[in-house]
Amino acid sequence: MDSVVTLRGVTKRYGDFAALDGVDLDVPRGEIFALLGPNGAGKTTLISIVAGLVRATAGTTEVLGRDVVTDYRFTRRAVGLVPQEINFDPFFTVEETLVIQAGYFGVRLSRERLEEILVALDLESKRHANTRSLSGGMKRRLLIGKALVHEPKVLFLDEPTAGVDVQLRQALWAYVRTLRARGTTIVLTTHYLDEAEELADRVAVIAEGRILVVEEKERLLERYAGKTLRVALSAPAAELPRSLQALGARLEDGGTAVAVVAPPGASFGPALAALAEAGLPVRDVETSRMRLEDVFVTLLERGGKGRRP
Amino acid sequence: MIGLGPRTLFKKEVRRFLRVPGQTVLSPLVTTSLYFLVFGFSLGTRLREVEGVPYARFIVPGLVMLGAITNSFLNTSSSVMVMKLQGTVIDLLVSPISYGEILAAFVGAAAVRGTLVGAVVWFVAACFTGFEVAHPLYAVLAVVLVAVTFGGLGFVTGIWARTFEQVNFFPTFVITPLTFLGGVFYSAAMLPGPLKALTLANPVYFMVDALRWGMLGRSHAGALPGLAIAAGLCAVSLGAAYGILRSGWRLRG
Repeated sequence: MDSVVTLRGVTKRYGDFAALDGVDLDVPRGEIFALLGPNGAGKTTLISIVAGLVRATAGTTEVLGRDVVTDYRFTRRAVGLVPQEINFDPFFTVEETLVIQAGYFGVRLSRERLEEILVALDLESKRHANTRSLSGGMKRRLLIGKALVHEPKVLFLDEPTAGVDVQLRQALWAYVRTLRARGTTIVLTTHYLDEAEELADRVAVIAEGRILVVEEKERLLERYAGKTLRVALSAPAAELPRSLQALGARLEDGGTAVAVVAPPGASFGPALAALAEAGLPVRDVETSRMRLEDVFVTLLERGGKGRRP
Repeated sequence: MIGLGPRTLFKKEVRRFLRVPGQTVLSPLVTTSLYFLVFGFSLGTRLREVEGVPYARFIVPGLVMLGAITNSFLNTSSSVMVMKLQGTVIDLLVSPISYGEILAAFVGAAAVRGTLVGAVVWFVAACFTGFEVAHPLYAVLAVVLVAVTFGGLGFVTGIWARTFEQVNFFPTFVITPLTFLGGVFYSAAMLPGPLKALTLANPVYFMVDALRWGMLGRSHAGALPGLAIAAGLCAVSLGAAYGILRSGWRLRG
């Protein structure tokens, strides 16, 4: 796997508390990688170690094969961080803020690049406004702009849409996809599992400082997400034939519907064949799959850590 | 060749204080001008001469030093504190700028502000007492060295402080007493034994004295003791600031 970010045995301790406990992780190039976990699981600590904000107690962290401590000038140029907390410098305008941030990374921000960022983040009309006067959503977009000025190879988004309205969230999702299409690797932490389900190519679940699972999102859903077949009947049935009962089917809604739950990876073929053989009067058929949220809860419960991300 | 990163940080820090000139340049100008008018002229009519120069002229180096010390300290301490409170310190910590470059940019900007305020105070005072400077290079060296020293101390204070009350602790309880008792308004030769000994134990006294030698051509101990003390304190201040920055104390997790 062509890994952009590599962690090996990364541990971060605060006294007796281990925020991260021997984490091994590879983030593949060019993907949107969602890091999910309950509050206090270690998501922000992990991101902060890669970005250089926090020092690991043990282990090694590499970006593009270079160590984040000994080769920090290289790795920090390759990383962009959108922090969870909104920050702004009240002495400067939007444009000045972006130019200064680029300068920190040794980059002279060209007019074209500045325009591109301002347009992409819908901040063009505010370019000469003091950052203090921006709304919360605009400040969050400016944070994303600041993280992008030096064209990082990997962008860390720590809860990028927390407190953001639906319209802006959709716009940010679209922009994240555009960045991925250009080759930027995105690492995302989010409280909104629908966001991870919508955007992510790969998902890692972290709890109590340990990685529970890392998997391509589709494979994760295939592996852990069961599905339900629901058949509406035009006339109520009193009892199900044995062939359907053997497949775990049950009657619902006073006999007007049949529900069959298939474990992850299983097919509904036998159930559909049994239905046809039984001659039940089928009115409608509907299938549904467990969502990432359900998988997430399942994974945490297996690990005995059942809380929301 | 200084990289674009530290140059950007330095320019940003200078622009920051120039954005609020009323607070950063004009306010100390008014304050020190009032000192000059009140002490220089009211006491000047009674004291006439100190160490062979008119009293109004005698206090000018002290007022310049007072402005330089206070402003260089406040520039770094308030800027670091604001960055911590606003969260923008993250922008620096994730950047490829090295610790030495960060410190140099902050302290350099503090030295610019301290020297600028000192120059403005001198200019206003010189309108009343004359523009003659005995040893300009020594005078500039003394002001810059002291501004760098207190810029470094301000940097340490900004990192240490959790509240603005703590930021103000050092100027209120350390810098102000040391400068007011550091020969800004008098010569140690004018004091009785114990007070004289106390004054001579104060490093700021020798810094003011060095500047007085540079500006007036005469002083109690000459330029070298003050410059040596300032250079020593400068090394300690910058060393402490660099060590703390490198350790990540109160900045990095």
